[in-house]
Amino acid sequence: MTATRPLLEVRGLSKHYFGLTAVDDLSFEVDAGAVVGLIGPNGSGKSTTIDCISGFQPSDAGTWRLEDLDLTGQPPHRIARAGLTRTFQTVRAYDDMTLLENLCVAVQESDTVGWLQALGRGPRLRRAEAAAEARGRDLLATVGLAEYAEAPAAILSYGQRKLLAIAASMMARPRLVVLDEPVAGVNPTMIRHIEQVIHKLNAEGVTLLIVEHNVDFIMSLCSRVIVLDAGRKIAEGPPGLIRSDARVLAAYLGKARAAELESGHG
Amino acid sequence: MSAGGARALVVLAALAVLFAIPQFTSHEYVLALGVSFAMFSVLSGGLNLVYGYTGLLSFAQVGFFGIGGYAAALLVTELGWSLLTGAAAGGLLAAAVGLVIGYSSLRLSRHAFAIVSLSFALLCLIVARDWVSLTRGAMGIPGLPAPVLDLPGGTRWRIAQPADFYYLLFGFAVFAHAVIYLVVTSRLGRAMRAIKLNEPLAQSQGINPLAYKLLAIALSALLAGIVGGLFVFYLTIVDPSIFDFYYTETMLIMVIIGGPGSFWGVLLASAVLAALPDLLRFTTDLRMVLYGAVLIAAMLLFPSGVGGWLQQRRIARWRRPQPASQ
Amino acid sequence: MDLNFYAQLLLNGIVIGVIYALIAMGLSLIFGVLEIVNFAHGEFYMLGAMLAYFLTVNAGLGYWPTVLIVVAVAVCVGYVLYEALLASMRGANFERSILLTLGLSMVLQNGAVFLFTTTPKMVASSLSYSNILLGGLRLSLSRLYALGLGLAAFAALYLILYRTRIGKAMRGVAQSRDAALMVGIDPRAVSRLAVAIGIGLSGLAGAALAPVYAVHPLMGFSFVFKAFAIIIIGGLGNVSGAAIAAVVLGILESLIGGFLPLVMVDALVFVSMIAVLLLRPQGLFGRGVRV
Repeated sequence: MTATRPLLEVRGLSKHYFGLTAVDDLSFEVDAGAVVGLIGPNGSGKSTTIDCISGFQPSDAGTWRLEDLDLTGQPPHRIARAGLTRTFQTVRAYDDMTLLENLCVAVQESDTVGWLQALGRGPRLRRAEAAAEARGRDLLATVGLAEYAEAPAAILSYGQRKLLAIAASMMARPRLVVLDEPVAGVNPTMIRHIEQVIHKLNAEGVTLLIVEHNVDFIMSLCSRVIVLDAGRKIAEGPPGLIRSDARVLAAYLGKARAAELESGHG
Repeated sequence: MSAGGARALVVLAALAVLFAIPQFTSHEYVLALGVSFAMFSVLSGGLNLVYGYTGLLSFAQVGFFGIGGYAAALLVTELGWSLLTGAAAGGLLAAAVGLVIGYSSLRLSRHAFAIVSLSFALLCLIVARDWVSLTRGAMGIPGLPAPVLDLPGGTRWRIAQPADFYYLLFGFAVFAHAVIYLVVTSRLGRAMRAIKLNEPLAQSQGINPLAYKLLAIALSALLAGIVGGLFVFYLTIVDPSIFDFYYTETMLIMVIIGGPGSFWGVLLASAVLAALPDLLRFTTDLRMVLYGAVLIAAMLLFPSGVGGWLQQRRIARWRRPQPASQ
Repeated sequence: MDLNFYAQLLLNGIVIGVIYALIAMGLSLIFGVLEIVNFAHGEFYMLGAMLAYFLTVNAGLGYWPTVLIVVAVAVCVGYVLYEALLASMRGANFERSILLTLGLSMVLQNGAVFLFTTTPKMVASSLSYSNILLGGLRLSLSRLYALGLGLAAFAALYLILYRTRIGKAMRGVAQSRDAALMVGIDPRAVSRLAVAIGIGLSGLAGAALAPVYAVHPLMGFSFVFKAFAIIIIGGLGNVSGAAIAAVVLGILESLIGGFLPLVMVDALVFVSMIAVLLLRPQGLFGRGVRV
């Protein structure tokens, strides 16, 4: 039996804000190639967790590694270069740049072209830019935004911006992509579309960790689900099991209602 | 002809005209305007790089300008260096100082950097005025000699007439803008724009904001320092007034009106505004009141200047509903 | 050496430090609550002094009525300033607001130069020549009054920030804007009051100091840069930190000015600021509005 190392390993993550404990000694793993969901009621620490592991918030304790790379305490740009990218809850894009430019920026730090070569406009740079553009068009086609390649990102609708953000997160061929609420505030048609996009990307070999409030979305998409409540992991496992887990129900619905439901099944 | 090709032609034509001006007039007044334009265009171009492209408000440009001026003056008069090496050394010194204040304050926040850059400019003024053993104090270093340049081909060019200074500063301004253009149209400029537009997004894509910010600061400081080194020889004196806030206010107005982040906008604005004061014949105080009012109006109504307004129109064109096809 | 000499320097330093503190605290409060660096802050100090000059010399008013009127006018100007210009800056980025206030400073300063010329004016009144003697120390009455006003202002500010609901709201916003909004604090009301208080403090400093030093349109200019450095040293947004740093600076400047060349005195605050940034970037006292 070979023990394959998980792609992402988080151990003992803790974070406090002004005396409030946002994340409390959290440990979990994500296996390569999986689509893992991270759910929990408001204030359960989901956002703080991914802000910490992507370097945007300093953690108070804990370590996290991407395979053999220790990412603990690294700044966001180093973590991105190491192969962990993310999207944001407040959907971020470079509004004044075209979609294609948005995507080319996302990959420019991960090729081997240095600053002097970038200024020299030599063949190395041209090849890198051409490759970036090709991949950009590819991803735009995958998410369904190909026709807007030369348009400024400012004209996109909210749902389209989310698609652009997903495409951008894939540009540098990351090993792990963390999606922060990819379908929040989006209409059902777009939700299905995003679900398909994620399936396609996962099929190409990308590992995904998805934070979401939309529980149905998570259940249909993810092979494993981790549930947080008040900064702690209260359950993890395949969707079917999580759905009927008493602690999960209690966290989302309150203990009384959960007991009600359970006795109903009894 | 493509838009880029047409623009290149316009630029070349303008350069030819500007280059030819001293042949048609030796009127000192016109040539002085030209020198002023060349000098301010380099200052505002550098400020545009730091503020317009990278999003960092900085008041330090005048400090780099003056440091370059004093360094060049001292190296030439005390150590006998040539003008070009003196000015280059002044630029490098300014760039080094820029890196130090940039690194120390950017670690904290953009707010801190803005305030520190302001304090730095004032500190330069204080040092120039009061550290008499180094800078000769309030009297400055007058009587800077006319520089002599050894040109390829053996000729020596004595830079004493207004026309000579015109060509010297004009030539450097062209060089400076070529360098700035090269940077902002490269992926380095693209990264700077990304940092200004959405810094957290840029970070999540592997872009190191501090590195690019320091690059912008160092480059703008280098160019400001060199042009300062050249300009003080035109003035034939360097004194504490080289650090005057007036330079800061003027180059800020040029960047704001031209449009932060707009290479051509700022260049045009510096041309118009360098010529304007004399055309308007206001006293300095009223002109500054006017600049202040323009600044207030711009911040309230159109913060992106002329360049930004053009950008908005480009975006609006995309938004217009496409005609139904087929 | 002569103990009296030191004590005299110390006393003078405390007075100037208290004035620095009035200006720096207002600047800090405005930054903490609105995240705006008010470039024009020094100009309100100057205008306060100018108004005090005219009220004293042209209208013949006494010291206390003058101060009262100037402070009242300054507070009203603060309200107007917020509503007319700063309110629309909410949500705009930091750079826009600093440029806006820079524009305002250019208008006010150069306008004042144009209207009043740069000739310094002396507020010559019965106050200017009265001194009291404490042991071997001479303290001019105008300086004593300035000190008293400053301390009264500190006390008033403390009461507002700690004993009133809106004062607590101000502290909350300065600590964490998002948390304050979630709790239902009205940012407009809080911001408006912060600006009014800040400008009021500046005007008070101007009126208090008008009898002490010469009054001229550029007097705010040099003060404001020192105030910027002071608030960095004290910690951006930290009102008490600014006050403490200001008083310490005043004392140090006075003591050093007694022995060392002028350049050291002027440069002191900026060199200190650089040192603080390198060693303790969040300021000596950290961020947040605390008194």
